[in-house]
Amino acid sequence: METKSMKQHMGIRAANTISNTIIHVLLIIISVIWLIPFVCIVLQSLRVESTWQVGYIIPQKWGLDNYRNLLNTNFPKWYLNTLITALVTAALQTIIVLCMSYTLSRFRFKLRKPLMKFMLILGLFPGMLTMIILYRVLKDLGLTQANAVPGLILVYIASSGMGYYVSKGFFDTIPKSLDEAARIDGATRAQVLVKIILPLAGSIVIYTLLTAFMGPWGDYVFASYISFGNSSGMNVAVGMYNWLTPDQINNNYTMFCAGGVVVAIPVVILFMCLQKYYVEGVTGGAVKG
Amino acid sequence: MKKYSDLEYLRLSKWNKFTYRFLSFFASIPTAIWNGIKSIGLWFKKAGLAIAGEAKDIVQTFIEGDWKTKLSYLVMGFGNIARGQVLRGLLFLLFEVVFIGYMILAGIYWMSMLPSLGVVGPHREYNELLDTYVTVYGDNSFKILLYGVLTMFFIVAFIYTWRLNVKQNKIAEGILKSGKKLKSGKDDLRSLVDDQFHKTLLALPLTGILIFTVMPLVFMILVAFTNYDGTHDGFSNNLFTWVGLENFNTMLHWTGGGSTNYSATFGEVLSWTLMWAFFATFTNYFLGMAVAMMINKKGIRLKKVWRTILVMTIAIPQYISLLYVSKMFAKNGIINGLLLDWGWISKALPFWEDPTWARCTVIGINIWIGIPYLMLIATGILMNIPADLYESAKIDGASGWQQYSKITLPYMLFVTGPYLLTSFTSNINNFNVIFLLTGGAPINTSASGAAGSVGYTDLLITWLFKITTGAESKYYLASVIGILVFVIMAIITLVVYGVLPSIKNEEDFQ
Amino acid sequence: MASVKLTNVKKIYDNNVVAVHDFNLDIKDKEFVVFVGPSGCGKSTTLRMVAGLEEISEGTVEIDGQVVNDLQPKDRNIAMVFQNYALYPHMTVYDNIAFSLRLQKLPEDVIYSKVTNAAEILGITDYLMRKPRALSGGQRQRVAIGRAMVRDSKVFLMDEPLSNLDAKLRNQMRAEIILLRQKLNTTFIYVTHDQTEAMTLGDRIVIMKDGFIQQVGTPAEVFETPTNLFVAEFIGAPKMNIVHTQLVKENGKYFVTPCGAKIEVTGEKGELLAEKNIAAGEVLLGVRPEHMLLAFEPKADAMAARLEVNEMMGSELHLHVYTEDGARWIVRVPTIDLTAEQRKSLVNGAQLYITFEGKVMHFFDPKTEKNLLY
Repeated sequence: METKSMKQHMGIRAANTISNTIIHVLLIIISVIWLIPFVCIVLQSLRVESTWQVGYIIPQKWGLDNYRNLLNTNFPKWYLNTLITALVTAALQTIIVLCMSYTLSRFRFKLRKPLMKFMLILGLFPGMLTMIILYRVLKDLGLTQANAVPGLILVYIASSGMGYYVSKGFFDTIPKSLDEAARIDGATRAQVLVKIILPLAGSIVIYTLLTAFMGPWGDYVFASYISFGNSSGMNVAVGMYNWLTPDQINNNYTMFCAGGVVVAIPVVILFMCLQKYYVEGVTGGAVKG
Repeated sequence: MKKYSDLEYLRLSKWNKFTYRFLSFFASIPTAIWNGIKSIGLWFKKAGLAIAGEAKDIVQTFIEGDWKTKLSYLVMGFGNIARGQVLRGLLFLLFEVVFIGYMILAGIYWMSMLPSLGVVGPHREYNELLDTYVTVYGDNSFKILLYGVLTMFFIVAFIYTWRLNVKQNKIAEGILKSGKKLKSGKDDLRSLVDDQFHKTLLALPLTGILIFTVMPLVFMILVAFTNYDGTHDGFSNNLFTWVGLENFNTMLHWTGGGSTNYSATFGEVLSWTLMWAFFATFTNYFLGMAVAMMINKKGIRLKKVWRTILVMTIAIPQYISLLYVSKMFAKNGIINGLLLDWGWISKALPFWEDPTWARCTVIGINIWIGIPYLMLIATGILMNIPADLYESAKIDGASGWQQYSKITLPYMLFVTGPYLLTSFTSNINNFNVIFLLTGGAPINTSASGAAGSVGYTDLLITWLFKITTGAESKYYLASVIGILVFVIMAIITLVVYGVLPSIKNEEDFQ
Repeated sequence: MASVKLTNVKKIYDNNVVAVHDFNLDIKDKEFVVFVGPSGCGKSTTLRMVAGLEEISEGTVEIDGQVVNDLQPKDRNIAMVFQNYALYPHMTVYDNIAFSLRLQKLPEDVIYSKVTNAAEILGITDYLMRKPRALSGGQRQRVAIGRAMVRDSKVFLMDEPLSNLDAKLRNQMRAEIILLRQKLNTTFIYVTHDQTEAMTLGDRIVIMKDGFIQQVGTPAEVFETPTNLFVAEFIGAPKMNIVHTQLVKENGKYFVTPCGAKIEVTGEKGELLAEKNIAAGEVLLGVRPEHMLLAFEPKADAMAARLEVNEMMGSELHLHVYTEDGARWIVRVPTIDLTAEQRKSLVNGAQLYITFEGKVMHFFDPKTEKNLLY
């Protein structure tokens, strides 16, 4: 009763102003919570008075020592490993995913439905399970530990055909009559793909590239399996994870922060530039299931 | 349970309607599971009938076929070559030669060893040349199992190709009889970029899936029935062998006997896994939706800034943010440091030390990780809700809350139904968040007798990881857990798809 | 320029739904054939089977005497216009029209002259450098037709090309398609659900329902001698009045007795009834609204009726009336035939008298719904 009369008294506009103010305050609080860890990482990476964890945020002495120290570790090697893995994976995985999703969206062959069901069932097994045997086989092939990069790329791209859902959803939205018109105009199926569909699929190609790049860039599990403790075969995630083990954390905590900043900055920039495509893909994918 | 007709249902009171729907949901679970099992049974029946049909056709083709066809039963591709389809014929022939060659040189050996997984283990033998005892390696169980699986796939592929070869003869004969011409090798190649283009496109992805997912999975499923572990690696220390269902008994312990018993630990980890998946999915879902609605509300400024701040956090690799945040909440981390400094607490809070604290913190931090995604998804969907729905609701006199609960929420739930399911199942397997935040800690001392150390925040998937990387490397246990995870996920998927009608009729809201 | 022959064509989908049953049709060279029917009748499916976009489950399709069942669409030498135009969004109008020619690897100057020539005919020369997005519905339609035109194909297929346009534009484009047909002088197969389009465009009309052909004939044939109730009701607007009534035979003459009236069947219809020696009994009587006669005073052989709805169409009135036995009729009266006073009296509930001449009746079997005379 009270709020109702208040509302009438102040008018809708005033009530709106109050609720908008509250929401603005909430959004500021949310933004702070979401940003604080990252601000902290940056600040800690610039702290030089000690290398272990401390209970305050603002460094007492500033400097770039942590970044310089990174160069004296295996970090550059890891960084290069990660970059190569991520770039190659992104390219190959995108090709595979596009092949798969385009086919499942456009062709009606006898095994289409069974194939999709089969992949759904396969997806219910934890992917990590297969790593046990893949590791041993790759080891026999000499693609682990020091040579982890090619082995890792193989593992990332091998089954990427199963992640076709999002881009299939996108292809489904391109009217089929375009394909049909082109086929009547004299195009083969391959020409339809190259001349009609791909030029229209720019946003999903970028989305797939981006996610395919970010996967290996931030992966820990598979990389830790394949490199198996060999420092020169590690990616940044595995290498830096070891800096935070109880026996190393006091020496390397601030260096971890510096490494984190160096790893995060390129993806953040990339991501900001391509945000539009990412958002399109994520929302499209969720709605399509 | 009494079933109401539509008209009877409409006359129920609000509360009765709710209980009726609630009860009928649970009442339909058994049917959903039963239907799932039945459909599997039907599938087998259909497959059996199909195989019988194929067999009949093979015999019939032989009886009715000409001599070219008959000879093709022995020499694959002969019919094709004799009828002018040289390219196809040669491919068939090549495959047959490779298959027979492989089987003679290796395949038969691996298949014959498969039932035993090797007889002669590594042992010491006197070497005359060196005049000393040296270790001699015998059979290799791992390789036997691996190549055994490989050979089985090869045999299946051969049978399929042989059948294809027979079928092609029949078709070619029919075409020639009706006076038409057969496709030439050139035509075949051309059709690979046209009407058979899907075969070209799928070749690479499916080969990858077959080699890197299907075959390893078959291998790992078989491992669950062996004693393959760190001390039985099948080659350098001990051979491993088949043990039947013993590993499943160890994990689930239905006979009550046996030396080791992980059923209690399994139960505990499983119940936390499900609890975690439930909370992780729904807290993110509703809070993400709330944030999205706040940002999208009319009159809110800097919409793009708020969104960008949240989206930026997606870009930062999880291992950096999660590892860092986990250290922030450590005993000597920044959070405790600041709180102590400000005098709000007198003693560090046990974020990672107390089981309940740890579980809550994990869920809380997962919200921090998950909200940006959900915010994006919810924003996209909210914008897709037709504005006239709200306009008509306003004219019908709905308040803000009613608009939310009667339009926004049902619409969201409807559209994101399948997403919620995948989100739930992927949370069951959410390795990253748990492993990077706690690594499973705090250790569950009462359960640590089980393989490796198990913690209170360990999910089945992190437990599996620990088992495979731990000192004992009990691969067979990991494999059992993997299979059980599959069973759980399959049941959930089946129930959700079988019971929730909304997922089936996706068109209703469009 | 070619004939198209469909023999026992059948379409069965994977879920065993039969979309087209046993379709037989011989389309002559340069003929304009229209497939018409309600949605889901299989007309589009049939067209798509001719195009090669849909697999033919049974039977054969021949174009110019060659069986094309196993040919890809691109090898059938056909052109097609789609309902939603299917213009390639990333190409300009010029590139859209030139696409098929480029795939044929024609020299660019030949392409140029062909495209500009077609653009001229269709009046879209000014838009050649625009993307489809920047065009209106009518312009897109023209581009789609242009794309099909430049191919000099044997058969021209059109799948509901006008149904996405508004009513006015539709009439205009309909006239243009007639002109286009005169210019191209090729074989056309045109699919529509609109009987007006079918009647105005087609040399022959194929009326379909539930996958079965109901009738094939010229517009005049299907209008005057519908083979069954469905065709009678589907062709013509407003649709034919249908009532249950008794057919009475007295002294060799036939009468119908709708709602107390007694009207003699005369003319050709009466002769045919006698010739076929149709037995007296219950029939479905059909009379087109334009053949109904209206009176304001009681009259011999007229049924008393009450006015329910009066639709003023401008040049004519559509009067919805019901007789005492509850049957509903539509009477189409030219506005000019009525006096101002009479028009004023046409209010809801007004008492009217309706009848029709003896020579305009159609008779259908109440069970089989087949026309009793043809």
